Amino acid sequence: MNGGADNASLGNRIAVVTGGCGGIGTAICERFVREGATVYAADIAGDSRSAARYLSLDVTCEDSIRAMMERIGDEQGRLDILVNAAGIEIESTIEETTLADWNRIFAINVTGMFLACKHALSLLRRAGGGSIINFGSYDGFIADPGLAAYCATKGAVHALTRAMACDHGPENIRVNAVCPGYVDTPMLQGFFGSSGDIDSLRQAVQDVHPVRRYGTPEDVANLVNWLAGDEARYASGQLWVLDGGLTAQVQQMRL
Amino acid sequence: MRLKGKTALVTGGRQGIGRAIVERLADEGARVMTCGRAYRPSDLPKEIGWQVADVSDGASVRKLAGQVRATFGGLSILVNNAGVQIEKTLAETTDADWDRLMGTNAKGVFLCCREMIPLMERGGSIINIGSVSGNTADPGLALYNASKAFVHGLTRSIAVDHGPAIRCNAILPGWIMTGMADAAFALASDPDRAKADALSRHPAGRFGQGSDIAALAAWLACDEAGFATGQCYTLDGGLTAASPLNPGLF
Ligand SMILES: NC(=O)c1ccc[n+]([C@@H]2O[C@H](COP(=O)([O-])OP(=O)(O)OC[C@H]3O[C@@H](n4cnc5c(N)ncnc54)[C@H](OP(=O)(O)O)[C@@H]3O)[C@@H](O)[C@H]2O)c1
Ligand SMILES: NC(=O)c1ccc[n+]([C@@H]2O[C@H](COP(=O)([O-])OP(=O)(O)OC[C@H]3O[C@@H](n4cnc5c(N)ncnc54)[C@H](O)[C@@H]3O)[C@@H](O)[C@H]2O)c1
Repeated sequence: MNGGADNASLGNRIAVVTGGCGGIGTAICERFVREGATVYAADIAGDSRSAARYLSLDVTCEDSIRAMMERIGDEQGRLDILVNAAGIEIESTIEETTLADWNRIFAINVTGMFLACKHALSLLRRAGGGSIINFGSYDGFIADPGLAAYCATKGAVHALTRAMACDHGPENIRVNAVCPGYVDTPMLQGFFGSSGDIDSLRQAVQDVHPVRRYGTPEDVANLVNWLAGDEARYASGQLWVLDGGLTAQVQQMRL
Repeated sequence: MRLKGKTALVTGGRQGIGRAIVERLADEGARVMTCGRAYRPSDLPKEIGWQVADVSDGASVRKLAGQVRATFGGLSILVNNAGVQIEKTLAETTDADWDRLMGTNAKGVFLCCREMIPLMERGGSIINIGSVSGNTADPGLALYNASKAFVHGLTRSIAVDHGPAIRCNAILPGWIMTGMADAAFALASDPDRAKADALSRHPAGRFGQGSDIAALAAWLACDEAGFATGQCYTLDGGLTAASPLNPGLF
């Protein structure tokens, strides 16, 4: 991946990143800005740490999504890139998951994505097409313990990604999902919360990865940047696993 | 007795998974023949046919097909189970290793299918033994892993090209306690600890038995599985449903 402004790949593009103030979202916004795009960081949390324009957004609320798209429409007249990175994780088995928890995680991870895509379509059409990048997870393929509802939302994201790619491909709208493995963000710290933080588990976690490290938000932004740009113009409907080789392996015995 | 009136050839039935499949198909009423590179095992039930055959050798497999025709007339079930494992990375693998491993695991399946398909009647079922290692890698088993991916690919091609007359599926075992699994554990610095750790990675709480694989083979062989074809079915006690990292075990 080339990463310099000398080779800006997203000049003149209009992009919005939901969850744009999160660990991965921030890195994506920063990268898009460096690549020359006009970037909106849309998040329920109130402070954008990147050079992107901050937009207050609750992805579960249709009015909030509509207001965001209206504003982008008013200011830019179109949209080229939508990244759906807003997401939460609930660390529990189904037994410990209340119906309210279940509904909340589906509202953010799945319904929020549906709403953002649905209301982005007219702006994407005005741009003559565009690129939607959803956040799935390797957890949509195989399970981590105690993450049942989260795994289920990511499986739904994968299926929705393919379905939208199918429906909107003819309008030159590409839809892909990025499926990260372990990426060092606040979400991952939360996941390790009960068993210690990622630093104390650093060596153990790294040792299980064929590349002997876990991912960084910048690693993920590299892939998102490629999918957003014209080099990826034939890429659609795919689930792009990015995990340092983790899931190329059968479970690794500790010898 | 779901296989009454059917005839079956199981390659590599001397021991392990192959033997379990042989015994199960016979229990279900099939007439069964099996083979291996050496003489008939003394404990093989007498109603089971035995042929000395090396599946990696074209002439040997043609001879085997002749014996199947002479004994059964035709063939309803073919189980490609014969397999070998070499514990090496790609860099360590010699040309001779390639011939031995790919000869049995890949070419052997190809030869047996090519020679037996003409003997198979409508409703025939081919069952290939692949492995979870053909989808996700076990360390230090480079060619073995790749040979099983070949088996999975060939399974789909046979199903597509030779349906509807013949169905073809693969079973992908996880850790099944046979000589082959013990050889893999022997690679560990502390085989007992490695075994205990591996066990804790199985949601089913145990390793597989040959009889587990045989139970699925019997179903795939029988007419109840009439709509199942072209698939690779994993049977691993839940092993590969979980992340390789499995932080629950830290
Ligand atoms: N055990 C596991 O955990 C596991 C997991 C995944 C997949 N599998 C697969 O399951 C199958 C059976 O494995 P297993 O564990 O039962 O192994 P095993 O105990 O080593 O048995 C292998 C059998 O194959 C026969 N064989 C080997 N090369 C042959 C050749 N060229 N021609 C004819 N027969 C040959 C051997 O008999 P002779 O010595 O008489 O020739 C032996 O009976 C293999 O395909 C293996 O890859 C096993
Ligand atoms: N970190 C990992 O290891 C990892 C692995 C696989 C997938 N992912 C996925 O990547 C995406 C980003 O994850 P992250 O690690 O950056 O997490 P993060 O917690 O750092 O960021 C998530 C962001 O989403 C925002 N958000 C939550 N609810 C919202 C709502 N209702 N409306 C708008 N914004 C909302 C949060 O405020 C936060 O800024 C998520 O979809 C996550 O599931 C992360």
